[in-house]
Amino acid sequence: MTLAGFMARNALRNKRRSFLTIASVALSLFLLCTLRTGLREMTNPASMEESACRVAVRHKVSIANVLPAKQRDLIKRVAGVASVMPLTWYGGVYIDEKHFFSRFAVDPAEAFRQFGEMKISPEHRDAFIKKKTGCVVGIKTMERFHFKMGDRIELAGDVWPCDVALEIVGTYRGGIDETILFFNHKYLDEASGNRGVVGCWWVLADRVDSVPRIIAEINRMFRNSDAEVLAESERAFQMGFVSMLGNVTLLIGSISGVILFTMFLVTASTMAMAIRERFREIAILKAFGFRSSDLAGLIVAESLLLAMAGGVLGCGGAWLMFRLVPIDTMTNGFFPIFEVTPGIMAQGMGIAMALGFFSCLVPAWNALRLSVVDGLKILD
Amino acid sequence: MIDLVELTKLYRQGDIDVTALDRVSLHIDEGEFLALMGPSGSGKSTLLHIMAGIDRPTSGQCLFRGVDVAQLSETALAEWRSRHIGFIFQTFNLIPVMTAAENVELPLLLTRLRASERRERVEFALELVGLKDRLKHLPRQLSGGQEQRVAIARAIVTDPELVVADEPTGNLDAHSAHEVMGLLATLNQTHGKTIVMVTHDPRAAQYGTRQLHLEKGELQHDTAQASPAEAEA
Repeated sequence: MTLAGFMARNALRNKRRSFLTIASVALSLFLLCTLRTGLREMTNPASMEESACRVAVRHKVSIANVLPAKQRDLIKRVAGVASVMPLTWYGGVYIDEKHFFSRFAVDPAEAFRQFGEMKISPEHRDAFIKKKTGCVVGIKTMERFHFKMGDRIELAGDVWPCDVALEIVGTYRGGIDETILFFNHKYLDEASGNRGVVGCWWVLADRVDSVPRIIAEINRMFRNSDAEVLAESERAFQMGFVSMLGNVTLLIGSISGVILFTMFLVTASTMAMAIRERFREIAILKAFGFRSSDLAGLIVAESLLLAMAGGVLGCGGAWLMFRLVPIDTMTNGFFPIFEVTPGIMAQGMGIAMALGFFSCLVPAWNALRLSVVDGLKILD
Repeated sequence: MIDLVELTKLYRQGDIDVTALDRVSLHIDEGEFLALMGPSGSGKSTLLHIMAGIDRPTSGQCLFRGVDVAQLSETALAEWRSRHIGFIFQTFNLIPVMTAAENVELPLLLTRLRASERRERVEFALELVGLKDRLKHLPRQLSGGQEQRVAIARAIVTDPELVVADEPTGNLDAHSAHEVMGLLATLNQTHGKTIVMVTHDPRAAQYGTRQLHLEKGELQHDTAQASPAEAEA
């Protein structure tokens, strides 16, 4: 037997209590990792390297305001712009609201040039360009609804006052979101009465260095026009959506705080009970020659062992679960990745370690101060 | 071996000072088996605790081979106990989740002995108390007498010079008490261990080579006597 073995034996002495403690820490850390992952996805959306060259241009007043189609040629003339295309949120309803996935009208010739991370075969791309009513659907949506090439998708307009009937002519893989449906903006223009408007402009810069200048130039170009724009990097555009969620960080932070505090109370109470009922043993070990610091160390190690076991189960469980469960499908693409990152796992394990340490400080201190004679009196 | 010089111990109970030991002076030679007797509250356990280095006197000296144990720091005192003292308690105090062998091995975890050396010592100590066949037994699988014998093995496994026993037969039936006392007498006579034992039981005290009576913290009688083995001879 070793001191480590002795400590482990003590930690598991009351198996039911140890199991319940480990389970409560594990469950709390599982929740915490889930919340942190959700928060990270919402406040720090994933992005690809390719997005660094992309600029989003929207109406300065609100994203709900449309922009005139005539702006395209002006933007195209800005030095360093490699591509400009309309990107308009169509929305619409497929069967009913439960069958949700993102639908955008784009320029088929430019879309997969701009979104280079979304891989499409040349045949599908050509078909998309040629067929005005054609659409390209992300592989995850294809799988979710068991779509096949050539299938018809009828969408009822909600944001736009027109319905569209589309034919699947291609599919793509890759990118952050593999659930989107893209269709031809010209079809939307015709279906909606050629109003000559678009939702946003999506601009591809020739290189990353050009992006700040292009943003400044576009913003300057339409200043004081009847459709003043806000050009910003794609990343900044994404973050703008996050701000619409309100103070979700505070909300999730508060919930996390409550979880942490509850976890602390549970662990501290367990350790206090576990140590109090062993006071006489601690006194006897002291009589044998164990120093107070040795015993305090054993108590801290015991508490750390329980908390870390819970941490491994909770954080590891969250990591494993969200790898196996298709969260993107379950949330209709709201959380396209939902990855418990190594950083979140490390945070979770750090919390478990801090929890193990702080929850046993009072019992360890009491054990440290316990005199052998007082401890032996507990026997009588 | 042990010299107690004018040893006084006062306890404070509320506003009142209670004298547990009143200027007790005593000399114990190596190889003695001392039985400390007296009524409850007479100070015998306090005297035992001070001799074993788990309590400190209010005044006076407790010299162990010339070293005033009461002057040692907490850390030095802990190390001193691990080297020189073996403890036997009334309620055995074995750790319930550990086997007999593991309980006996506990004090050896403080030494630098290798695992194999520790195992040898544990087996030897358990053999000495007649429980080598109970190495893997948990305390709940042993009788009271066997538990106390495991506790004795634990007390002697580090080969201490002084074994202190606080009412070692207090929780045992007559037969087991007789066995345990026989074992302590053997440790004293055959292995030369110095033993200081607190007891209420006059029959247990008969096993000692010397009886000491305390009353109200003062030494009353100090009687040398023949051990049972010597008496039989």
